[in-house]
Amino acid sequence: MKKMNEQKLDALLSQYVDGVLSEQEAQQVESLLAVDTSAKQKVVELKNLKRLLALQPKLNPDIGFWTRFSVAMEEQKEEEHNLLPFPRKFIPAITVMATAIVVIIGTLVIQNRIQLKQFLSTKSQAVREVYEKNILQGSLLPLFSKVDKEHALQFSLFGTLPLDDKSETAFRVDEQSEKGYRIEVGNNLKSNTKSVTFDRFVAEVKPSVKQKKIIDSLLELTGRRIESSVLIGENNTLAIAPDLPKLNRLMVTNIASCLEPLQRVSFERLLEANNAPYKVTVKSVQTGKAGNYVQNIPKFPQGDRFVIITPDTMMYSQIHIDFDSLKRQMEENFAVVGVRRAAMLKKIIAREFQRVPKNMHFPMTNQIFGGEEFFSVEINAPGEEDNQQQMRVVVQPRFRKQIFTPGMPNHSTQMRIWKDTASSDITP
Amino acid sequence: MAIPIPRADWQSENERFRIGVRARSFVPSFPRTNDADSMTNHQALPKPNAEVLRKMDDEALITTFQSGDLDVYRYLVERYQERIRNLLFSIFRDRDFIDDLAQEVFIKAYQALPHFRFEASFYTWLYRIAVNKSRDELRKKKTRRFFSFQTLDEGIEKELNVRLSVQPENRDTQELVAMGLKTLPEKFRTAVVLKDIEGLSYEEIAEVMQCELGTVKSRISRARAMLRKALKPLMEEV
Repeated sequence: MKKMNEQKLDALLSQYVDGVLSEQEAQQVESLLAVDTSAKQKVVELKNLKRLLALQPKLNPDIGFWTRFSVAMEEQKEEEHNLLPFPRKFIPAITVMATAIVVIIGTLVIQNRIQLKQFLSTKSQAVREVYEKNILQGSLLPLFSKVDKEHALQFSLFGTLPLDDKSETAFRVDEQSEKGYRIEVGNNLKSNTKSVTFDRFVAEVKPSVKQKKIIDSLLELTGRRIESSVLIGENNTLAIAPDLPKLNRLMVTNIASCLEPLQRVSFERLLEANNAPYKVTVKSVQTGKAGNYVQNIPKFPQGDRFVIITPDTMMYSQIHIDFDSLKRQMEENFAVVGVRRAAMLKKIIAREFQRVPKNMHFPMTNQIFGGEEFFSVEINAPGEEDNQQQMRVVVQPRFRKQIFTPGMPNHSTQMRIWKDTASSDITP
Repeated sequence: MAIPIPRADWQSENERFRIGVRARSFVPSFPRTNDADSMTNHQALPKPNAEVLRKMDDEALITTFQSGDLDVYRYLVERYQERIRNLLFSIFRDRDFIDDLAQEVFIKAYQALPHFRFEASFYTWLYRIAVNKSRDELRKKKTRRFFSFQTLDEGIEKELNVRLSVQPENRDTQELVAMGLKTLPEKFRTAVVLKDIEGLSYEEIAEVMQCELGTVKSRISRARAMLRKALKPLMEEV
């Protein structure tokens, strides 16, 4: 109550100081001031405050204001004008037309909603049937169905992966330079790399709990990425996401980046001792957050674009694949899919591809070569990864003795699929 | 209020022109000077010189603007830029920032001027745009403070108390009053700035802030009470 009265008195005194009270009200205030010293003090303070506020510094007129303003206005006008693909005077007409079209479409949809619903239902059913039929028939299947942590680590460090449960065939990515990479399918190629299990990696590098979690997440993402990057189809078709060969270098970079300097030395030793294809060359880097590394792993092939290799041709094309559904279908029909995939893989390894002399010069970017025991496809890919620079860890290919077929150019990254070379340490 | 037009012949032509252009059904949100028909009309009319335009009152200039002579907006900007910049300066106390904000106010006014109905005086209308703009900016700042977990008002209050505690001869009174103003909530700050710095009447403030007269009185009274409290040592000395 007292507070309210005080507020009322403040308001009255404030208006008194401003001289906006009626004559009668002003007399009442003056009679109050004659007896109430605190009210009198308030009036003095209010007058002082008004004076102080009135003395606040003012800005001088700005003679350049109009010039700057007119420039800003022109810029805004241009910006606004550029946003529209048509002259502004058509805005009302176009708005009216757009509204009319929306209303007409809406009316038509509402009037024909039952037929429309039936039509959509029929179409979606048809699409679903075709889709499921194709998937179950195995027209396109992932080459790798279950890439676990061990396999992901193996791929990351050495670029190798077993293709089948018995490890009779293996898949390998190797890089010689940044100008491109080579995909090879064959059955008589040897590997000189060893393998490192996750436990051994942990024992050597000794990552902290947090680092281990980061590396776990990275390996899991890598596994998923590999699963969705290599597909096989009927008629000896192989579809590979073109940026897959960069994945293992990226993974080495990621792992190196999240390690402390001393751990990075151990990691480098581990890589060197096992003849891994990469080495970490810059070691002065701060350990970052988990999100930074995980973000750098692309979840799916960019734009669903694949290099599609058939016995007759090779193309770079877009395939829209719902990997989640595909995976679900495979899990539901594991046995059928497994047999079909094995048959497909056998055909691909059986070298039923067009043979092209190795040393022939091709003017086109992508080239297909043939050999005795393998086929290879060379694809010129873009070079350095941008995110490597962001992470300030440089991972370079380690110089290695020629392990590929003599006569092949050294300036390309190579990916090979071959038989009987899977590392013995990998347990499928 | 009579419109003082210096030349009778120009007045009659302008009147005719104004009626003709006002018949247009659509006024674009951003009037364009290179609009084909307005250009044609411009060329057909003798244009008053800059000195004459500069002496014209707001209402006449706006009428001319609404008639299609968009160039006269320059004289309105020149006339009010100082007041608008000072108003924004009193609210924000940031010289670099207020120039951009003042430009935005005048751009907004330029866009809205074709729809101006002469129901209020131009400067209260312009003040209203400026006050709305500053309110938006203060809200943005408040949001940014919220997301950056900083309480700027508390920081200013603390600094103000420290500054007030030093010897009277070492104090910069104007700066302290400015800091005191910054501690006020936006509505109170704007009301007291309009009243005590800009010298607007209660009725004009009600028009600018788009609220009741009683609300304005209450806001000013409360703002002053807060300021008296914040600047207590200063009040006693004065």
